[in-house]
Amino acid sequence: MAAIDNTLIKISDLSFSYGKGQEILSGTGCSIRENRFTVIMGKNGSGKSTLLRLTAGILPYRKGSIMIRGKELKSLKPEERAKYTGFLAQQHKAVFPFRVSEVVLTGRASYVKFLPGRSDELEAERAMDLLGISDMKDRIYSELSGGEQQLVMIARILAQNPSTLLLDEPISHLDYNNQLHTLKMIKHLVENRVTVVAVLHDPNMAYLFGDEFIYIHNKKAHEVHEKRAWEHPLVKQIFHDQLHTIEYNGKHLFIPQLS
Amino acid sequence: MNRKLLRTIALILPLPVIFFSLFTGASELVSSGDVWSLFFSPADKPADIVNTIVLNIRLPRILLVFLSGGVLAVSGSAMQAVFRNPLVDPYILGLSAGAAFGAALAMSVVIIPVQVSAFVFGLSAVGLSYLMALKNRQVSIISLILSGIITNGIFTALLTIVQFISDPFKLQSIVHWIMGNFQNASWQSFNLALLPALAGLSVLFLLRWKLNLLALGDVEARSAGANPVRIKIWVLIAATLASSAVVSVSGIIGLYGLIIPHLVRMLFGVNNKETLILNFMLGGSFLVLIDDISRSFRGFEIPIGVFTMLLCAPLFIWLLKKTNVGWQQ
Repeated sequence: MAAIDNTLIKISDLSFSYGKGQEILSGTGCSIRENRFTVIMGKNGSGKSTLLRLTAGILPYRKGSIMIRGKELKSLKPEERAKYTGFLAQQHKAVFPFRVSEVVLTGRASYVKFLPGRSDELEAERAMDLLGISDMKDRIYSELSGGEQQLVMIARILAQNPSTLLLDEPISHLDYNNQLHTLKMIKHLVENRVTVVAVLHDPNMAYLFGDEFIYIHNKKAHEVHEKRAWEHPLVKQIFHDQLHTIEYNGKHLFIPQLS
Repeated sequence: MNRKLLRTIALILPLPVIFFSLFTGASELVSSGDVWSLFFSPADKPADIVNTIVLNIRLPRILLVFLSGGVLAVSGSAMQAVFRNPLVDPYILGLSAGAAFGAALAMSVVIIPVQVSAFVFGLSAVGLSYLMALKNRQVSIISLILSGIITNGIFTALLTIVQFISDPFKLQSIVHWIMGNFQNASWQSFNLALLPALAGLSVLFLLRWKLNLLALGDVEARSAGANPVRIKIWVLIAATLASSAVVSVSGIIGLYGLIIPHLVRMLFGVNNKETLILNFMLGGSFLVLIDDISRSFRGFEIPIGVFTMLLCAPLFIWLLKKTNVGWQQ
């Protein structure tokens, strides 16, 4: 696929610190391309989640700018902003035993004045269909497996109908099969013209599924659009030079260098 | 559908409960036959005393009890969604203790309406519990319960001071009020509670679906484009307004607002859009039934607050053992 420049989100000069603490991000910028799967990588505490939360409008930013389709994010009202970005937190803990369909429907909050209507229910059903979880809509969310819960929460932001899904470590708590399944579903969404940005840690999964990459290092974001993104010099920094690449069936695999 | 039938029953339950409660009472001057003929054979004119007892003593009391039970259950379920904790109610978060202090203060020292004072201090108490538990913009379930205990302690201590400096006559009315008592219910007290209770209930009713959103968590609500803080403030003000309205005429009815929402969840699920009205209907009906028992004793009457506490405490302990969700936040 030709790399046409179809920037959806343009971040520039962004700085952020929690309270009066150290800056997590310092005057950085990057762009997110439409209908692509962008993977954010970086060490623990490097500011991946922070970047995602800022872009999601969950954290307010003072310095810098985040433009989505030519609009400054912080100038948007929450219910408008929700039409541009949907955010999936690292882990969600259910307190009450809601049904799956009830959970997904809450994604429609920005469209609902007081009570959701038929169109909201249809959107929720469409989202569940797209992720192939329609058959579990009457099941109790808190009784599902971690992988199933993750798909339900992704369906929830899909029902919100934002231009971009921002997923914070969507597979970190899942077993291997569920990691694969979730990533396949994300890929399926991207093929259906959804833009996805996700924080991933596993280089194999990242380079197997990702289209574009953003490396976060030293408080700065670096975007990489090249085909062989793992050859970027920052990769050595992020993985402390411990990553060994092998080729297998035309694919590149990554194994840790022991000793 | 079994649940549909159950739902219909729950929705129409108040009618027979209220009607048959008119037959219950300590008065020896009114027989069941008298009440019956009052409604169904108006031709043989009932004695004035029957008329007065049934329509001006029993009816307003029953309606007030119903309103109180309904409001406590609805407020309880709303607060449980706000705090994402199935074990909170207005009582646990200190509303009742705050309202009791406010009411006692108004009764003995300051000349402001009892209801206004009860409301202001009830709201302050809930706010205080919340602020004490707030850490890093998060409220953990266990710290909320602990801060509720502290709030209860603070206002109970303040209440004791007020009681200490009150003259015996005022003291008696304060103590009566605190025990939770519908003995003095009248059309006047019903009317007094009705308006703020309905105002609070209407807001909660409008926001009932948004309660589901709150119950999922702050980040999830924010991500969906809602402002959870704003919704929470509306819900808390509405729930506090409604419950302090009934608390200020009925006294403290402990744990009731925790037990009924649980019962409703067990029977009908957790979707607040559907269950809010059921909480009102069942909460009202059951409190009327409990009050019927306490009214049937001749000679003396167990205050309903004492009654519900004794009844609900074992249920609460059972729930505490059974519910194992969310203790780590």
